[in-house]
Amino acid sequence: MSEIANSAAPLPKKKKKKSFQRIFNSDNFQGYLFMIPTLIGLPLFCIYPLVTSLYCAFCDWDGINAPVWKGIKNFRWILVKDPVFKQSLVRTLEYALINVPIMLILGLALAVLLSKKVRGIKIFRVLYYLPTIIPGVATLVLWQFMFKSDVGLLNGLLRQIGLQPVGWLTDEKVVLFSLSIIRWWTVGGAMMVFLSGLQSVPGDLYEAADLDGAGGWQKFRHITIPVISPILSLQLITGLIGGLQAFNEASIMTGGGPNNASRFINYDIYLTAFNSSKYGRACAEAWILFIIIAILTVIVFKSTDAYVYYENE
Amino acid sequence: MTTSMKAAERRNVIIRYILILIFAIPMLMPVLWMLTTALKDNAAVFKTPPQWIPESFQWVNFKTAIESSAFFKRFGNTLFIAALCICGSVFSNMCVGYALARFHFKGRKLWFYLIIASMMIPGMVTVVPMFRFWTAIGAYGTWLPMIIPAWLAAPFNTYLTKQFLSTIPRSYDEAARIDGANNLMILMRVIAPLSKPLIAYMTIATFQGVWNDYMNPLLYVISKPDKWTLSLAIARLGSGTYGIEWNIYMAADILYFMPILIIFFFFQDYFMEGLGAMTASGVK
Repeated sequence: MSEIANSAAPLPKKKKKKSFQRIFNSDNFQGYLFMIPTLIGLPLFCIYPLVTSLYCAFCDWDGINAPVWKGIKNFRWILVKDPVFKQSLVRTLEYALINVPIMLILGLALAVLLSKKVRGIKIFRVLYYLPTIIPGVATLVLWQFMFKSDVGLLNGLLRQIGLQPVGWLTDEKVVLFSLSIIRWWTVGGAMMVFLSGLQSVPGDLYEAADLDGAGGWQKFRHITIPVISPILSLQLITGLIGGLQAFNEASIMTGGGPNNASRFINYDIYLTAFNSSKYGRACAEAWILFIIIAILTVIVFKSTDAYVYYENE
Repeated sequence: MTTSMKAAERRNVIIRYILILIFAIPMLMPVLWMLTTALKDNAAVFKTPPQWIPESFQWVNFKTAIESSAFFKRFGNTLFIAALCICGSVFSNMCVGYALARFHFKGRKLWFYLIIASMMIPGMVTVVPMFRFWTAIGAYGTWLPMIIPAWLAAPFNTYLTKQFLSTIPRSYDEAARIDGANNLMILMRVIAPLSKPLIAYMTIATFQGVWNDYMNPLLYVISKPDKWTLSLAIARLGSGTYGIEWNIYMAADILYFMPILIIFFFFQDYFMEGLGAMTASGVK
């Protein structure tokens, strides 16, 4: 390279311009030029906070003074002494692990129900999807009203048929169930994903099964499920990750109550950081959540992998 | 044989309709209840048994709701943030997606994997350091923490854009390059027009994201009521020092999600089929 540069010495000016242009037009230069948003964004919004929060997880940090290294003190406190963290963890896992399978089954059932092209089906699809369009905050406000013990519709209907009213958001045994109802109400999103999955199943598979005399359930079990299994597995993972990060429900509807029964981990982290100003401890909690999510994702991934059918393999 | 099969088919369709209608009731009931409540007077809210059709329609509730939530102010705030986020998101992701799809620069694979990996980090892990960061540079109490990230290529949209742009044949670029176009011109005149479904999807998804976002406004502008977004204003309406009446609250809630509903009816396919609609109408 340098030899070529030397041999071109008699025409330095022209060569210089040419090589500048060559560098400017190279894939390396142009590539990094167009990458600028990510070159700033990824280190700033991802790598920097990740490293900082990992470091601060081992520190005492009030957010005003510099973090002070304390080793595993935060983790020991959270896992041994913290009176609410373990409960938060159990409640969050309960909430996510119960709801995810229910959402899958309900979503798939509704998708099958609405998959047949009968008259007016499009209107019904829109109708079932409607609760999903309503912004999360609006949905929670609406259900807060539905669950109200005095003026809420649910208790109103219960009273009308002569049953005892339920403390939907005030009874610690019921509150997770109540919050689950809101999730089930927005099953339309999962339903639409399954619906497009169902439509991608090749029709000739069903025809072949018809010739073999297969019944409706057999076709569903041995054709539909295997073909849409990649979608099922992805929905399972995203549902789990989303459920473990529930925040708005606790923040808007229950304040984590009653008696911390709906204090999801994410909300607990939020309170630790922004109410108690224990930023170091909050970072440690967030990392524990991160690790739990990662482990669960790997478990789900590995355990469903054997059953997931990929067409190209 | 054929008539009995037809009869069975008919019966199946009827059963299907009945099931569809049964499941439609719980889907629709809360929204209808919200609507009737928003139109009742305050005394009717407390009536038992629940009253489905208001005796008199109190349209004034919506006016009260607008006044008590400073609706137009917050509506404008949210719209402003959404507009900037949409511009930023489309601009930055088109650039980065173009780089990843077209240039063979050193480290391209590494950056792409980093982008994918960064999608898996739970939001809460980065919240505390980012909060301290924005506070340290004096951006607490402004909308910058909500807007700037959109201009710096959010990972999911980047990934989507890269995948979409990879499906556009390179021969289009080459033709434009022979005509003397540079990379920026190719991106704006050739790639962007072919990416309309992608841009439409990103626009709608970003709008929806800003409209629904609750945690960021809660973190950064909670202390500045004149900077509140609609989502924050609506969520806080119930927890004010004075209790708000439920009929007014429901009216405000309806006003809040109305824009999303209107957009939904215009761009139904992008909502209902999401990414599916994008690939279906994309370049083949």
